[in-house]
Amino acid sequence: MTVDVLQLDLLTSRYNYYAVVLLLGIGLYMLIESPNLVKKVIGMNIFQTGIFLFFITLAYRTGANPPVVTKGGGPYVSPLPHVLILTAIVVGVSLTAVALALIVRIYSEYGTLDEDTLEELYYD
Amino acid sequence: MSLTLLQGALLVFVLCCAVGAALLKDTLAAVIAFAAYSLGISIIWLVLQAPDVGLTEAAVGAGIMTILFILALANTVTPETDRLFEPIRWRTVLFVGAFVVALGATVPSLPAIGDPTAPVAGGEITQYYLEHAYKETQVKNAVTAVLAAYRGFDTLGEAVVVFSAGVVALSVLRREVFA
Repeated sequence: MTVDVLQLDLLTSRYNYYAVVLLLGIGLYMLIESPNLVKKVIGMNIFQTGIFLFFITLAYRTGANPPVVTKGGGPYVSPLPHVLILTAIVVGVSLTAVALALIVRIYSEYGTLDEDTLEELYYD
Repeated sequence: MSLTLLQGALLVFVLCCAVGAALLKDTLAAVIAFAAYSLGISIIWLVLQAPDVGLTEAAVGAGIMTILFILALANTVTPETDRLFEPIRWRTVLFVGAFVVALGATVPSLPAIGDPTAPVAGGEITQYYLEHAYKETQVKNAVTAVLAAYRGFDTLGEAVVVFSAGVVALSVLRREVFA
């Protein structure tokens, strides 16, 4: 019984971290298993967003305000993880743009986006 | 912060969208599921008191990213299929499951969400930025102050990344057009 209570307590106090773990799992599955290259890029983005959720959850503080400093408004959530994630979002978009440009190029060269077909074409 | 109904509903929504993006066979459907996922995530940022990140995610993640994906799909192909979902390969599920269990085992040692004594939320660096950001930079939004002043070189590096990504994307695509 105590084990059950403990588990439930973990879930209600650390739910975001469990969501992070699940998102990382889904992203990893897509990266490995999706036959289509576009879906692999989507998987990479889901993996990234999982890590973002980890950072933003770490910055959170119960009852705190957004980190816009006004007179006597505290407590505030931590601004530093927000900054890191803002940078990471923009870098993620750059990464996606390059990946998709390469995908368009691969399609114009080989006429397919299917991983297995590409492998066959490449080794022929 | 204990789990509220809004939080739980948002997390279930984004997880469902992610699973949908993973399993839908049609790539356009997967991209749409991913756009819904980004929108859900940006609302989660608002709930976690990160409005700057939420705005960026909604504009860039749900907006620009979806446009990029749809442009890529328009220039390539969506696989023709009569199946709605992809078959699940259990060997990979097993591998990913092991990864998830290994990561999940570390969760109990993390501080509870919203704990004011946690190392990040209540830490020295956080306090420094919150106390000095306005005095030293005259910017009320601490996120902007850190982004543009304290970590300005980081942001310069970010701009370099965006620039080189633009150069790479253009050079990769130009060859296609003019070859």
